Amino acid sequence: MSLRTLRWLLVPLLVVPITWLLLAGFGHDPRVVASPLIGRPAPAWETVTMAGEPIGSDDLAGRPYIVNFWASWCLPACVDEHPVLAAAHEAHGDRVTMVGILFDDTPHDARRFLDRYGDAGYPHLLDDRGAISIDFGVVGPPETFFVDADGIVRAKQTGPLEPQGMDEHLATILPRASR
Amino acid sequence: MIPTIGHASILVGLALSAYAVVAHLLAARGGDPRIASSGRRAVIGSFVAAGIACAAMVLSLLSHDFSVVYVAENNATSTPPFISAISLWAALEGSILFWTLLATGWAGLVLHRYRDRHRALMPWVGATLAAINGFFFMVMTWPGNPFARTDPVAAEGLGPNALLQNHPFMALHPPLLYLGYTGLAVAFAFGIAALATRRLDEEWLRIVRRWTIIPWIFLTLGIVAGAWWSYEVLGWGGYWAWDPVENAALLPWLTATAFLHSIMVAERRGGLRIWTGAMVIATFVLTLVGTFLTRSGVVASVHSFTQSAIGPWFLAAIVVALAGSLTLLVWRLPELAGGGRPSGTVSRESAFLLNNVLFLGLTFAVLFGTLLPLIMLAVGGEQISVGAPWFDTVTVPIFIALLFLMGVGPALPWGTAGWTTLRQRFSLPLVVAAAVTAGATIAGLREIGPLGTLGLAVFVGSIMVDEVVRGARARARGRGEHPATATWRLTTRNRRRYGGYSVHVGVLVMAVGVAVSSGLATDRTVTIGPGETAGIGAYEITNDRLVVEPLAADPRVIETRAELTYAGPQAGTLATALRDYPNSPTAIATPAVRTSLGEDLYVTLLASDASSGVVTLHLFVNPLVVWIWIGGGIVGIGAGFAAWPERRTRPAVQPVPDSAPRPAAVETVEGA
Repeated sequence: MSLRTLRWLLVPLLVVPITWLLLAGFGHDPRVVASPLIGRPAPAWETVTMAGEPIGSDDLAGRPYIVNFWASWCLPACVDEHPVLAAAHEAHGDRVTMVGILFDDTPHDARRFLDRYGDAGYPHLLDDRGAISIDFGVVGPPETFFVDADGIVRAKQTGPLEPQGMDEHLATILPRASR
Repeated sequence: MIPTIGHASILVGLALSAYAVVAHLLAARGGDPRIASSGRRAVIGSFVAAGIACAAMVLSLLSHDFSVVYVAENNATSTPPFISAISLWAALEGSILFWTLLATGWAGLVLHRYRDRHRALMPWVGATLAAINGFFFMVMTWPGNPFARTDPVAAEGLGPNALLQNHPFMALHPPLLYLGYTGLAVAFAFGIAALATRRLDEEWLRIVRRWTIIPWIFLTLGIVAGAWWSYEVLGWGGYWAWDPVENAALLPWLTATAFLHSIMVAERRGGLRIWTGAMVIATFVLTLVGTFLTRSGVVASVHSFTQSAIGPWFLAAIVVALAGSLTLLVWRLPELAGGGRPSGTVSRESAFLLNNVLFLGLTFAVLFGTLLPLIMLAVGGEQISVGAPWFDTVTVPIFIALLFLMGVGPALPWGTAGWTTLRQRFSLPLVVAAAVTAGATIAGLREIGPLGTLGLAVFVGSIMVDEVVRGARARARGRGEHPATATWRLTTRNRRRYGGYSVHVGVLVMAVGVAVSSGLATDRTVTIGPGETAGIGAYEITNDRLVVEPLAADPRVIETRAELTYAGPQAGTLATALRDYPNSPTAIATPAVRTSLGEDLYVTLLASDASSGVVTLHLFVNPLVVWIWIGGGIVGIGAGFAAWPERRTRPAVQPVPDSAPRPAAVETVEGA
């Protein structure tokens, strides 16, 4: 083939990959990232609650727990999942510990958020310099990790929790007898 | 009623655009000349329709008509009129409506202005522009209807985005940026017309240069205004974060800038015509890609435009524009190839060529970094994105090389440069730059980045000053003019060259501002009680008192305000606040910025305790930041100076390949 004919290859050579690339973006939430933590021990941490009391992962050991990374600026996702978390705490608080961790947020804003949307009573923890978020590999709130009684991460939710997803994830960390 | 008129106008605009495409295509095939003018009137009519639709939206916002979804989501009964009006471009659907107004406006202006000229080109220009406008009307008719209604009607709306209420710059930054984006479609339309009619000649180059530089000015000012807004409003002390939305504005700017340089070679020496055509196409396609990336939700961005149904529409538009224009370009390739005059390795042509390679390198780097999440997704790999440090590492060396070239390139002669010329041109600037760098080192500047940038900027700046001075002196001597008169005449007789120099000076000023402010900024977080003092740099900040009260302008907004006294190189009082807007659970920071020519004192309130009056503050001292904005202004003025029509005092002079840049040489006579 002559160069004059071959030059027509330029068009598909440029158009097809670009289209394919841009098309790949559809149907994926750019914020969803799979966690390598699942099946592994949850990172250890120590911090203080918004009320100023020291708390650490050791204090939660021996019971399943849920770690919810959130921020008052995360709209509307954190507002949407807020009642789901509160309901789960209400229903399973006797068997599962729930903690919220502020992701890049100030206590001032977090307090205001809780005053407005309701405070279910479980503790919210400060994450100074984002150390805990980094250990958990949090990209952006809300992200929620479900840790079983042995301290192993069993499930992770990226984005707002819905009642059904909450039940499914909870099932992975509750002891069989109590399900 | 008013929203119905708005919606009807969009439908009318769509119909007029469709008609205009057909009419212009018929005219291009040699139809009745009257059909071209009816097509032109249809485009102007679509501008009027877009204007009516915009007016209807603004009226709906001002009257708080919550039956319109857009108004209910972006307005509240207590929203001040000014904020209501500029909410036209505060969210997705409204911004597309505003965008359409500007796009149809440019199209109408161009078709009207050239109604009696360029008879072969204009039908194709009209058809292309009308097709682009039609696309935007289609988006507003189907996936992104700005006048979508809701029933039942809410008594109160959600209110505008709190961030947008906080600074008047929101009234300035989007219109400037959109004027740039939409204007670049004109250059693209001329590109298509020239390819279709096989007229990529000097006439075409002149028109396209003009219609690239005008939107380029708006795009530049829009980008600088956006950076400034981010600095003044967001409270993080910075102005550029390599966010996808910022990159989306930067990408077409880079290719447009490359084009503005390569076109000089095309005009002076022939050649580079394929390249020039490709740049015009790339610039327009990149404006679409940028819009697609940021408005469709495929890339995560802090600007977080909501996921919307317009994504597939924009993707289709990109594919059509890219495939269509590439096909045309490839079709014409044999006719475009060659034609350039040969030149030496060290010459102005090679400097321009290198300039274009560097700009293209920057474009690819920024595009790659922005698209990396999509690339990884497409090849099925792990999800990865790159942040500001990656962009800095990759782009800074290219920017530095461009800075160097900016001084050396214009000082090199066309053709071939000999050693004598090089020594003549560069020895004095080198000495000056070395002296200034040494002086700055002695004065205490030790960081390599700011120091190197300063030295380079002085080197480049003195090359240009040297040339202007020599040219003006020669003119003053030769014609017996006063030196000031000679300088003015020299520069106004060759606006392109000296306007371009002024743009370069603005860029140098910005470069020094960026290098110094990013390399030498200091910041610290302090918590101080009432009456206590904390220091940063040469400043002492005292916590006078903490006030919590409703905002006078809008009592629903509660302001927590730290009133502070500062002493040091600047002294006085300032107040920095957190504002709690009813529709935002997050308090919006209002940083206090005290600007001086040497440095900015930048204070934000992070947290406070109302009972004790203790405040936590983030303090920054950012040196030379103001020079970034000043530099941006110089760039705008310089580009305006260059784009200003030159007086037609003599007939067009054929470009003469000269061996040295003659300051008083006539490079072109503007005919556009």
